[in-house]
Amino acid sequence: MSYKCSRCKRDVELDEYGGVRCPYCGHRVLLKERAPTIKEVDVR
Amino acid sequence: MASDFEVEFIERDDRNARFVVRGLTPAFANGIRRAMIADVPTMSIDTVRFVENSSVMFDEMIGLRLGLVPLTTPLDDYETGETATLALDVEGPATAYSGDLRSSDDLVQPADENIPIIELKEGQRLELEADAVLDRGREHAKHQGGVAVGYRHLQRVDVVGDAGEFDEQESNILRGVIETEDDELVLTDEFDNDLTERYPGKEVEVHDVPGAFVFHVETDGSVTAEELVLRAADSIGDRAAELEEKVAV
Amino acid sequence: MMIPVRCFTCGNVVGEHWEEFKARSAEGEDPAEVLDDLGVDRHCCRRMLVSHKDLVDVVSPYQ
Repeated sequence: MSYKCSRCKRDVELDEYGGVRCPYCGHRVLLKERAPTIKEVDVR
Repeated sequence: MASDFEVEFIERDDRNARFVVRGLTPAFANGIRRAMIADVPTMSIDTVRFVENSSVMFDEMIGLRLGLVPLTTPLDDYETGETATLALDVEGPATAYSGDLRSSDDLVQPADENIPIIELKEGQRLELEADAVLDRGREHAKHQGGVAVGYRHLQRVDVVGDAGEFDEQESNILRGVIETEDDELVLTDEFDNDLTERYPGKEVEVHDVPGAFVFHVETDGSVTAEELVLRAADSIGDRAAELEEKVAV
Repeated sequence: MMIPVRCFTCGNVVGEHWEEFKARSAEGEDPAEVLDDLGVDRHCCRRMLVSHKDLVDVVSPYQ
């Protein structure tokens, strides 16, 4: 599962012990990236 | 039923029609109205595959908007349930319009080209592929070809005498189509829907004409108004034939 | 957020008139006359355009 730091915009792997924190800049707000697959939506 | 219907058009263009039908029962008039709304199939986007969507709206919201875009429907070429594919690829800063949809079939195109789907800012992109399917209005409202389809009784206006000389004339509002004493059909818009404008100083009586109905038909552009009415009548005929066949066994 | 594609009540397509309606009423034309001119004559469709506010610019900074 990949995340993106909202301050330095770098990709971040979330690691279990480090808590929610960007290892490069220490920012605590991470954004979840959209999956690269094609999403099919039923319009009903 | 041996008797024929008498049909007279008052207004008629691609998306709008107003016509008088004589010799109908109220039940049959309502049957035609319902057939126009629920039984004439139109193409509409049903499944959307999102390749990229970095816009401010969710995939589902954009899908819902795409579903409502009217698509021109070649009813002779498609059976209910058949699909056509459309694609959209727009990169910001720009607005994605319904006219940006590219279709695999030239006959299935957005009927209106200026419907904004989503406004895209710098760096945002929308890329998708969509399947349009032919289905009927009773399955989903987006498949309705007719918009604001309805009918009224035809009303006959007779002049019965003069209004009192010093009487205050109150406006007499009527909407739709009237039949005058000379059997002329007049749209009420022509005299601002007010009978005192057309017959100043006269006393008039208004009656419903039995068995005569004024239909107003408007379409969303997927089929012409004329085709909508004809297909609705056909669908009633087909169902009557089906019933006859099943009962006969 | 974006102008609805169709009128909620009658299902008439109103989205296609939005940009012209917006531009012309911003220039000081009477909105009622613009709507008459565009052929949006039912009051259910007219309220869709009159009461609408574009919000994409408001939400776009919060990506």
